[in-house]
Amino acid sequence: MKYIGRRILQAIIAMLGVSTIVFFILHLSGDPVKLMAPQDASAKDIAVLRHELGLDQPLGTQYLHFIGNIFKGDLGYSYIQNVPVINIIASRFPYTLDLALGALILSLFFGISIGLLSAIFRGKWIEKVLMPIILIGQSMPAFWTGILLIMFLSVHLHLFPSSGVGGIKSLILPSITLASLSTATIARMTRSSVIDQLDQDYVRTAYSKGVGKGRLLVRHIFRNSAIPIITIVGLEIANLLGGAVITETIFAWPGLGQLTIQSISSRDFPLVQAIVLLGSAIFIGVNLITDLLYAKVDPRIKLGRDAS
Amino acid sequence: MSKALGFSSILIVLVLAVLVGCSSGLSAPSDDTSSKTNSGNGKNSAQGHTLVVDKANDPSTLDPGLQYNTDSYTVYRNIFDNLIHRDPDTQKILPWVAKSWKQDSPTQWTFTIRDDISFQNGDKLTPDDVKFSLDRILDPSFKSPQYSNFSDISKVKASGNTVIITTSKPSATLLSKLVSLSIVPKDYVKKKGDKDFNLHPMGSGPYALSEWKQGDQVVLTANKDYWNGAPEIKKVVFRNVPNAASRLADLQSGKADIAFSINPDDVSVVKSDPNLKVFSAPTERVAYLAFNALGDTPTKSVKVRQAIAYGINYKSMISSLLNGYGKPVKEVLTPVSFGYTDSIAGYSYNPSKAKALLKEAGYSNGVTVEFASSPAYDQRVIQAIQGDLSQVGIKVKIASTDQATFLKKVQDPSHNWGSIRMGNWSCSCLDADGTIYPLFHSNTIWSSYSNKNFDTIVEQARTTTDEDQRKEAYQKAFQILQDDVPGIGLYQAYAIYGGSKHLQYKPDAQENFFVADMKWKE
Repeated sequence: MKYIGRRILQAIIAMLGVSTIVFFILHLSGDPVKLMAPQDASAKDIAVLRHELGLDQPLGTQYLHFIGNIFKGDLGYSYIQNVPVINIIASRFPYTLDLALGALILSLFFGISIGLLSAIFRGKWIEKVLMPIILIGQSMPAFWTGILLIMFLSVHLHLFPSSGVGGIKSLILPSITLASLSTATIARMTRSSVIDQLDQDYVRTAYSKGVGKGRLLVRHIFRNSAIPIITIVGLEIANLLGGAVITETIFAWPGLGQLTIQSISSRDFPLVQAIVLLGSAIFIGVNLITDLLYAKVDPRIKLGRDAS
Repeated sequence: MSKALGFSSILIVLVLAVLVGCSSGLSAPSDDTSSKTNSGNGKNSAQGHTLVVDKANDPSTLDPGLQYNTDSYTVYRNIFDNLIHRDPDTQKILPWVAKSWKQDSPTQWTFTIRDDISFQNGDKLTPDDVKFSLDRILDPSFKSPQYSNFSDISKVKASGNTVIITTSKPSATLLSKLVSLSIVPKDYVKKKGDKDFNLHPMGSGPYALSEWKQGDQVVLTANKDYWNGAPEIKKVVFRNVPNAASRLADLQSGKADIAFSINPDDVSVVKSDPNLKVFSAPTERVAYLAFNALGDTPTKSVKVRQAIAYGINYKSMISSLLNGYGKPVKEVLTPVSFGYTDSIAGYSYNPSKAKALLKEAGYSNGVTVEFASSPAYDQRVIQAIQGDLSQVGIKVKIASTDQATFLKKVQDPSHNWGSIRMGNWSCSCLDADGTIYPLFHSNTIWSSYSNKNFDTIVEQARTTTDEDQRKEAYQKAFQILQDDVPGIGLYQAYAIYGGSKHLQYKPDAQENFFVADMKWKE
């Protein structure tokens, strides 16, 4: 518990650091008022709008105001949409969650099974067929995979909707697109860490003791190769939950990825800040869970005794 | 035991996560799956066809007093009525909510308001609502981005069945600006509050809001009691599909009935599909180049600016890059706008003249200029210009940043932003004042050019309401711009939509999207 408390404190400091950096980079990089005002607005009219938004105050004052509001739990209103940013994010997050889970289920299933198969059948035809498929998945960018899937499965075969949200069916193509990269990463990590274990002495010993192949694989080998796989899966989950910019754009999926791009390009400061805060919270949270899982999977790891 | 716990806890976490995920996001949207797939396949229900529209962006706001971008008003102008209306064919300003108007003095106008219009909740539309609609935009604390459209207005008074608008100085473009004023219901807005009204807008227009899923889609249904006759298309879904290739795929798969912003490159794909057709129209939008005539760059010299103007092959740009979806212009304005003149010479492609001018300017060995750009502008056009100019000895370095950074750079009063920039200008007012004043008057944020004579002429032209005097003034102004070349018009841009062949729709120069004017024929 003490360990978790310390980790949460670290998380808060990290999030403050991240939002400070983002705050200054954002404010120095462009002016939302110029994007909001009609193009023929005069300098005077723009100044009126800037004053009303509080953007004419010194940067330091704005920063203190921003940090103060965070601790009050107030993330502010979107400049562009005039809605509390917390509501905007809450309405978009479920879509990102759905897509992330769809992609995660696919990539865990295919990644781990392909990884296991190609480790066990190293050098055999199974590996020679599976690994190139994985390589293709990893090399094709999402905008290419996505458009190919739409052209074949939606436009020609009419199997799935070409874009938008509407039930499980609409989730399949974007999940495949998004999963193709994670599947490759997970499969390669599974393969190499299982191969590492296959050569270990204990495997030979267990095998010679007469432990069944299946039991050997699940109880001994896979368990011992789990740590690197958990690490990589944790990173993938954090990435997926942050929103998939390209996949969401191609499939018109209204999740956080699209929102991020829009809010950055319109310099909607409060919205960008809130998304960044959420993103860093997710990243730190997933990492914490991953660390806790290490201890569960490998009893030799003791949390909280690391020198720091 | 601990081993078993370790693995089962991972499993439980995963299963829980899946369950939570399914219940949170997908169950809600799946409720209306049936209605959406119906409309998506172009099938007709008992209420007639549901029109599915693919737009490139979600509306920012649906409160017509707030955001003033095409993505927003394409949707909300179907929910609200505007004070006055522009005829899409003749560009004449016609009565709408105001049935007539007269100018009492150079600074005072009286509008008579129709008495037979009701809002969708049954309340009558009154002159008070008109006054309220303007007043809230003019109130600085409302932070309306449209403030500058109406900032000349000093007072709005409702009296009897009229609204009297007073301007601080005579305003030639007041009527053109009022074409974009949507009337909101005062009592309803007051009761709901501005924040809530934005999410649940209600107007007097031909369509009422059914549902707005932000980032995803807006659903409108026909107002069968509409004062101007119930619209034929009973339901419209505006979807947010940011990727152009996906919009095209939606058209081909039948998911969408009409898609915005089709690339000229993709027009042939739409044309070759027997179920689709292209809807297009020349707009009031002009693609132009503006030069930095004030900063420390080669374009400070008028000879270099002229050389650039002669060095661009406008015709081949329009025919090969835009596939003909563009028209040549003589100045930085389109022929549909008030004040456009044919009397000036304009610039056409003349590479030998360009080379000679460059030599006269003292750059016989060539010159390098920087082209400030952002992804908002057609990169192919910019690269074509780069290619053309390299032929005459002008080396163009393209400096592309995102739009916010680009604006910050080119609008900075230091005029330290390179030499050339591109733009696509539409004032939505069909008037020279809305284009050349903000672009080239010395005191505006866009201008990197200064000519006292020009400033005086365009200032006078905006404060007189005599049409002949104004026409004459703009003729003079364009002659000055022809000689000084602070910018050049590249072409008149087209709006290009791809859509179902069952749809009857006529796009117009103002890029309006009034669904009530559309029809669906099987």
